[in-house]
Amino acid sequence: MAAGGAGGNSGRTYSFKVVLLGEGCVGKTSLVLRYCENKFNDKHITTLQASFLTKKLNITGKRVNLAIWDTAGQERFHALGPIYYRDSNGAVLVYDITDEDSFQKVKNWVKELRKMLGNEICLCIVGNKIDLDKDRHVSVEEAESYAESVGARHYHTSAKLNKGIEELFLDLCKRMMENAQAEERLKGNGASQSASSRRGVQIVDDEPQATPAGGCCSSG
Amino acid sequence: MTLAAGALTTQTNPLNRVLDLHRRYYYYKRTHLTSSIMSQRTERRGIHVDQSDLLCKKGCGYYGNAAWQGLCSKCWREEYQRVRQKQIQDDWALAEKLQREEDAAYASSHGAQTQPHGQSSAPHPGHASLGPFSKFEEKKTNEKTRKVTTVKKFFSPSSRTPPKKETQEGKTPSPSISRHSSFETDQVSRDFVDFLKNLQRPGREIHKQCRAFIVNMSSKKDLSAEELSECVQDFYQNMADRLMSHFKGSSESVEQVMDQVEKYIMTRLYKGVFCPETSDDERKDLATQNRIRALHWVTIQMLCVSMDEEIPEVSENVVKAITDVIEMDSKRVPRDKLACITRCSKHIFSAIRITKNEPASADDFLPALIYIVLKANPPRLQSNIQYITRFCNPSRLMTGEDGYYFTNLCCATAFIEKLDAQSLNLSPEEFERYMSGQASPRLHSSEGDWALAGSAPDATAVATTNPVLVQLNQNLELLSGLISKQERVTEAAQSLQADLLSWPQSVEREVHGVLEKYPLEVAPRTVSAIDANNVDNDNLPPPLTPQVFAG
Repeated sequence: MAAGGAGGNSGRTYSFKVVLLGEGCVGKTSLVLRYCENKFNDKHITTLQASFLTKKLNITGKRVNLAIWDTAGQERFHALGPIYYRDSNGAVLVYDITDEDSFQKVKNWVKELRKMLGNEICLCIVGNKIDLDKDRHVSVEEAESYAESVGARHYHTSAKLNKGIEELFLDLCKRMMENAQAEERLKGNGASQSASSRRGVQIVDDEPQATPAGGCCSSG
Repeated sequence: MTLAAGALTTQTNPLNRVLDLHRRYYYYKRTHLTSSIMSQRTERRGIHVDQSDLLCKKGCGYYGNAAWQGLCSKCWREEYQRVRQKQIQDDWALAEKLQREEDAAYASSHGAQTQPHGQSSAPHPGHASLGPFSKFEEKKTNEKTRKVTTVKKFFSPSSRTPPKKETQEGKTPSPSISRHSSFETDQVSRDFVDFLKNLQRPGREIHKQCRAFIVNMSSKKDLSAEELSECVQDFYQNMADRLMSHFKGSSESVEQVMDQVEKYIMTRLYKGVFCPETSDDERKDLATQNRIRALHWVTIQMLCVSMDEEIPEVSENVVKAITDVIEMDSKRVPRDKLACITRCSKHIFSAIRITKNEPASADDFLPALIYIVLKANPPRLQSNIQYITRFCNPSRLMTGEDGYYFTNLCCATAFIEKLDAQSLNLSPEEFERYMSGQASPRLHSSEGDWALAGSAPDATAVATTNPVLVQLNQNLELLSGLISKQERVTEAAQSLQADLLSWPQSVEREVHGVLEKYPLEVAPRTVSAIDANNVDNDNLPPPLTPQVFAG
């Protein structure tokens, strides 16, 4: 069964949920369409929508089903974030390298995600539109050091030139698999994975997991 | 017979009165002679009633009455009781049939040590006396037994498993649950059994588990909604685990079975667990409904929705989406409810795709969904969301596409609850005025209050006028055009009528003129005998004479 990425034995299929966060015009949709359909600003894009996309991968002989959830990036929907990213295994936080504000937004989301989901979620911070490097407003060093400080990885991508996207998702999948395996080990071999994988569905009332002060920004 | 009766009863009142009078009179006399008088009388009034129509349909010789379907009082009483008796027996037979099927299904889950299908062995009391109906009953029982045997066949002990733990569940009063179940639940149960047929041994095991679970749940009516949810989710989990080990990890088969299990148990449990009294779902429903009603003034522009409703295909999709989201409430199974949401979302995507000519992102989709929810005001929205959250199969909610759309619906609902001036880019004063109904944005939309910044696509920002008003104006124009056209048609018709009226007159006049000009002079006719001598023989050609040619 496809329960929440906690897929177990090597023969089993992993299912991961990845949320896509980012402000309005940073190119979230282009990024994911480039990844799943390999098209950019194309009039021939066949898919009806780009808000929920799936991708099947095979990583070192293990099958992975990736479900990518786009989220509404407008400021007024910010408060709805938690409903979207609950139970997700990974988050792709996109900003536009020519737009300082969008990077600021990413920082907010990171804080929120760490607060709500702790360290279980794999974070990817993505600087998109590197084809517009001449207009860059977010420096590479700043972005990368920030990513490191919050336990996230940083990637440079260009949906237009199809740069860095494949690597981004492949890397993310590998990390999520590691997480899932670690979790599996933690539970102890043999003990069924029943109760815990189910708990995730109990929506709404789960209080945000309180992480010890300072702990949220330090782990790798 | 019914036809005749119908014809009689449809007669008009005076006729009935007449008939009644006649009937009373002739009932008293009851001779054949009178009938002829009667027919004379009725004929005089233009009514054609045959003698046979008035007699009892049973042919007992007494006169019948329309109110008794053309029977006499005695025969009517007999007939009425017979029909009632039959009705009662039919109902009884149906109930018995259902019970047997249930028994068969249930007994089989005990390893099929069954035999108690009495089949047709116990004829209903009083059968024999009812000549024509007993045959019908026989046919019915035949049908019944056939059905039972098929169920039995499928559950027959021919399979190699020895009946295992048949002990502790032997006395559970299981059929009592289904006793008062509706047609729908029966159908679902049947489908479920049919589905499990293909699985053979594990199928029986699954059926047993589900039934035991339902029985178990029926005794937990007073638990809170969360606890009920816990029970169901635990059941799903256990079932999924067992199936997983049985199918050796083939998740497709597991999903398939789980869907059926969900359908079966949730159809059964629906009444008890949807919007339960122990929760405040109902209050929330009302609150949301009122909230949406209060927000009726929110326009598509305020939400920055990239749908242009002036395009007919778009508005068509919008209507379909609204219908789908409303339809959600009518489904019982969580998965069917999800399917409604998914259909709704697909229609929204189509609408956006047509408007923008590119695939919809979440930035477009969520506002559009909010708009649809505001327009639709779906019944019992909160209850439905809670129900799906509590009782849907988790694997579907967490990762699948359906889950994504459901999450968006949750977001839309949350947004509507918390909606304020800022989220519509309005000033707090404006928002207050609209909420209190003191002003309506539609009336002075030309001010362009909400020429919105940000990601609002130009197309919709330009269309400041309300599409409904535009449509209304168009319709009005169309109507006035039609009216003038109609007037023209009427005029033409009237002139045609005048022409038609004057035409015979003119023809008459003409005829008169001609007649005056050439008066008809009738020459006196000279009648003469054929063989009279003075016939003008001279004018006749000479008679033919045979000519003879030589050679």
